[in-house]
Amino acid sequence: MSELDDELMQRFQKGDEEAFNLIVRRHQQPLINFIARFTGDKDNAEDLAQETFIRMYKAANRYKPGRAQFKTWMYFIAKNLCKNEMRNRGRRDRYRVDNIITEDNSNNENGDEIDLIASAPADVSFQPEVAIERKELNNAIHDAITELPEQYRFPLILRDIQGLSYDEISKILELRSGTTKSRINRARLMLKDKLKPYMEML
Amino acid sequence: MNCLQTEENFSAHYEDMLDYKTLQRFEMHMTDCGACQKEYAEFIESVKVSQLLPQVEPSSSFHSKLQQRLSEEPREKITFWQRIQLILNTPKLAFGVVMLLILATAGTVIYQNNLFSPDTQPNDGIDYITTSDPQSPFDNNNLLQPRGFDSVDPFTFFSTQPMQQHYILKQVSYTTASTAGGL
Repeated sequence: MSELDDELMQRFQKGDEEAFNLIVRRHQQPLINFIARFTGDKDNAEDLAQETFIRMYKAANRYKPGRAQFKTWMYFIAKNLCKNEMRNRGRRDRYRVDNIITEDNSNNENGDEIDLIASAPADVSFQPEVAIERKELNNAIHDAITELPEQYRFPLILRDIQGLSYDEISKILELRSGTTKSRINRARLMLKDKLKPYMEML
Repeated sequence: MNCLQTEENFSAHYEDMLDYKTLQRFEMHMTDCGACQKEYAEFIESVKVSQLLPQVEPSSSFHSKLQQRLSEEPREKITFWQRIQLILNTPKLAFGVVMLLILATAGTVIYQNNLFSPDTQPNDGIDYITTSDPQSPFDNNNLLQPRGFDSVDPFTFFSTQPMQQHYILKQVSYTTASTAGGL
């Protein structure tokens, strides 16, 4: 995957604009997901994702294939933008979309149900009360994650939601491998404590 | 291993990253500690549910909006040196360029010093023995068999110039040398 990204970047550096389009299509979903989970705001996540791609577009000529992994570079830019965003919010009231998941399918009448079916455990046959519980649980998890301190939230999202390796996370967050591991463990323990009231639903 | 240490190893155990000794101590503690068993079970559940969170999808207008913004954004111009850096970043090319530079430097040094030219011999007041010298260790009739030498610099044999490679040092007369206050 990273080899293809490098190839696309090299093509783009040589003037192939379509190569950058492909890069955007390949990474827009995980990038928006990462930012939305971190900031807790989907609309803002799209703006920040656009800003990330624009920065990459402008600085593409400085990208050195092979030296830095493309994904690491992308998340590094996004992480810095997220940090700036959170700093800028400051004491402003945090606008948060309480239900990011259902908003995705707002044009679909049965959007909520379809999404909830997809996210429900495979062995649970669809029942409205189960779906509602699942929705409640997802909101609780989302809230618990966004309430984590920034230094724990970043590694947790990158590991458990984005599925990056410890090595990649260490590079993105500029941390030592041991620090990354201990922060992820700490973040998971915090999350576990926050989700205790919902343990019966799990 | 106590409860706190066990808790610190939850992630490593869950992701199968513990070394053998730590794993043994972890398992031993878990067997005896009901509280840690409960905590670990909840830990695993919370990790699993967070991994199952639905992905946030981009809106349908995301790509078109981005395209519009990109079309308005100027791209950073690449300078000559940046282009060189990009080329050098490729390991094979970088190695080739470095080798070329080494060869070019070595070639220049050799050319400037004329190391292979037989015309340039040291002219430092040392008496040189020519091939006609009867004291020469070389036999003029058989250049490949130097007298009293097992091996000789092969270059000497193929030179068109008279043999000048072997020389003896001038004797220094200590009677005429300045003692500069000494002796």
